[in-house]
Amino acid sequence: MGSESEQLELNTDEMSMESEPDTEEMNLITAVNRTLRQEMNRNESVRLLGYDIGPLGGVYRGTEGLLEEFGGERVIDTPLSENGIIGTAAGMAMRGERPVPEIEFMGFFYPAFGQFMYAVVKTYKRTGGELEMPMTVRMPYGGGVKALEYHQESTETYFVHTPGVRVVCASTPAQTKGLLAESIRNDDPVIFLEPKKIYRGVEEPVPTDEYTLPLDEARVVRSGSDVTVLTWGAMVHQANAAAADVDADVEIIDLRSLSPLDIETILDSVSKTGRCVVLHEARRTLGLGAELSALINEYALDRLKAPIKRATGYDAHFPGHDIEDDYLPDDDRARYAIQAVMNYEF
Amino acid sequence: MSQKTWAEERPPEDFYRILDPEGKLQTDAPELADDELLELYRTFLSTRVLEEKMLNMQRSGEVSLVARTFGEEATPLGGAAALQSDDWIFYTYRQTPALLYWDLPMAEVIASATGHEPETIAEQLDTEDPPVNFPPGYTPIGVNVTNAVGSAMADAFNDRDTVTMVFTGDGSTSQGSFHDGMNFAGVFDVPAVIICQNNQWAISEPSQRQTASETFAQKADAYGLPNERVDGNDVFAVYEKASEAVERARSGGGATFIECVTYRMGAHNTSDNPDLYRDDSEQREYWEDRDPVDRFETYLRSEGVLDDETDAEIRDEIDERVTDAVDQARSISNSEPERMFDNTLHERSWREHHQRAELHRELNGDNPFVDFTGEGFDG
Repeated sequence: MGSESEQLELNTDEMSMESEPDTEEMNLITAVNRTLRQEMNRNESVRLLGYDIGPLGGVYRGTEGLLEEFGGERVIDTPLSENGIIGTAAGMAMRGERPVPEIEFMGFFYPAFGQFMYAVVKTYKRTGGELEMPMTVRMPYGGGVKALEYHQESTETYFVHTPGVRVVCASTPAQTKGLLAESIRNDDPVIFLEPKKIYRGVEEPVPTDEYTLPLDEARVVRSGSDVTVLTWGAMVHQANAAAADVDADVEIIDLRSLSPLDIETILDSVSKTGRCVVLHEARRTLGLGAELSALINEYALDRLKAPIKRATGYDAHFPGHDIEDDYLPDDDRARYAIQAVMNYEF
Repeated sequence: MSQKTWAEERPPEDFYRILDPEGKLQTDAPELADDELLELYRTFLSTRVLEEKMLNMQRSGEVSLVARTFGEEATPLGGAAALQSDDWIFYTYRQTPALLYWDLPMAEVIASATGHEPETIAEQLDTEDPPVNFPPGYTPIGVNVTNAVGSAMADAFNDRDTVTMVFTGDGSTSQGSFHDGMNFAGVFDVPAVIICQNNQWAISEPSQRQTASETFAQKADAYGLPNERVDGNDVFAVYEKASEAVERARSGGGATFIECVTYRMGAHNTSDNPDLYRDDSEQREYWEDRDPVDRFETYLRSEGVLDDETDAEIRDEIDERVTDAVDQARSISNSEPERMFDNTLHERSWREHHQRAELHRELNGDNPFVDFTGEGFDG
């Protein structure tokens, strides 16, 4: 991964901070842990529940030390049931709690879809806004870690297709801190996706004071004039690597919020560059790239100098270790897509 | 009768009972004052009158779908009567007596069946919140069990003495969410009372197709939950066992599971035709003889709590209340179409603004597909 500090500069304006805040170097999973501790100290209705989150501290150690600090009624190891975790968290949220359930891997969420669809996303609407559902479901997502099956999923589309829920994805430690804090404080249900591939891969200075980042604004990672790359999570780093390696001035947008989308920022960028590549780990068919491509077609077609290309995972089951690198988009696939739209002529 | 109908299997009757089908006490009645007894009677009757009225409204097309509690009233009524103000009831579509006992306005019950948006009902009905808390009624039963247990976990963690009661059915015991709720209830020892209103039918399938267990109550053994099996048509039995469970929950003793054995006298709902799947020629008569209201009325009269005059007063009062409620519900005008977007998220996103504007244009007879820049447009 290496040092990418030039791409990861802090936007202290956005954080409502002085230009040079006190910072600490940390990786993404440490930022998760610190943010959970911060929010639990700030609001006693924040309760964590999930599997292996107690004495073990989470399979990725996101909740390490929190049981000791906050006790078993705020850091709750549950029975092994994702549907039970999400269903009881929903019941707690109805009663004024602010649960932060952890699902161990995104591929383990499937049994919880019943509670998610029936209770989590619908209750606010069904009560005419009377009962809120302020819960943030944390899930590591994505491949690239040589994991077993169901440990590499990027199934954000299932959630993005559903009304009544926000879907947020962090791409760096500093982003994680601000976005996770804002998600927990937000009164809507939030699916918070953590790119496990870079839990420990990237360190950067993270301000030690509290701050939040907006859930409704995409982040311009780097400005450019030739081509826009729309991406999020771990793929932001592939986009950066590809941008450094092509003969084009690349603009990279980290969506941050996958639902709802910051459509203004997306359209402004594509209208400026006239070219667009969507880069995501998820399968291509009805992956979020399909919606992004459709939106750009609907609202910026006449600004396009080339068709939109989607550099994504393939429409196949996530393969075994031996060939997973061939499944996942990497720097090369991102670069090829950028070069393809740069070379296209109508 | 088609051979394809299910044969009914009568469940074992070694359950707890206080008031027998003839209205005679088998053991001591719960300690309830005369006015409390009459309140139960009033709720029994108001449920029947209201649901009969809603059935008529369904036939005339005013209400899209009605699922009646008819014949099962003692279970939700006895359960709900065991609660106190500030408690929570997670209900489904066959617990009307629980709603009426705790004064959820009848007009709201009707309006929830007429298909209005929740915001419209809240805005146009000038009603007071009931003294116990009702989350919205659940259609997918079983889901509510897990949510109710989460609610009770919140009470336990906050050292509140509130109790959460949840009603589920025989069919929903096959659902994962039922299992999850029961399991979490046991593990976290929560102040909840889980009531299985076993009416022996889940739409077209009888309880022997839901489980090979002899009873539903015994399922609770596997979760480490104390459990009871009672005559679900005996309001005293349900009330007494629910009261014990509520007391256990409130005093930190954890959750209880109660199977109330009753029988679905009618169709699943007004869209259902049970003749296609059940031959109730034997069971119907059997359960008609065990009607929960008849036996309670017989008891009240034998005890001198109810006479013809009081009965007539109560019935007149109910007729008046139901008529008023129907008038109120009928006065609700249809929602503005844009209301479908309300309370999706707390803030309006671009797509919400945009799609609201599109809908608005369409309603005005204007072409909604006129934005080619994404800069938005006036509705």
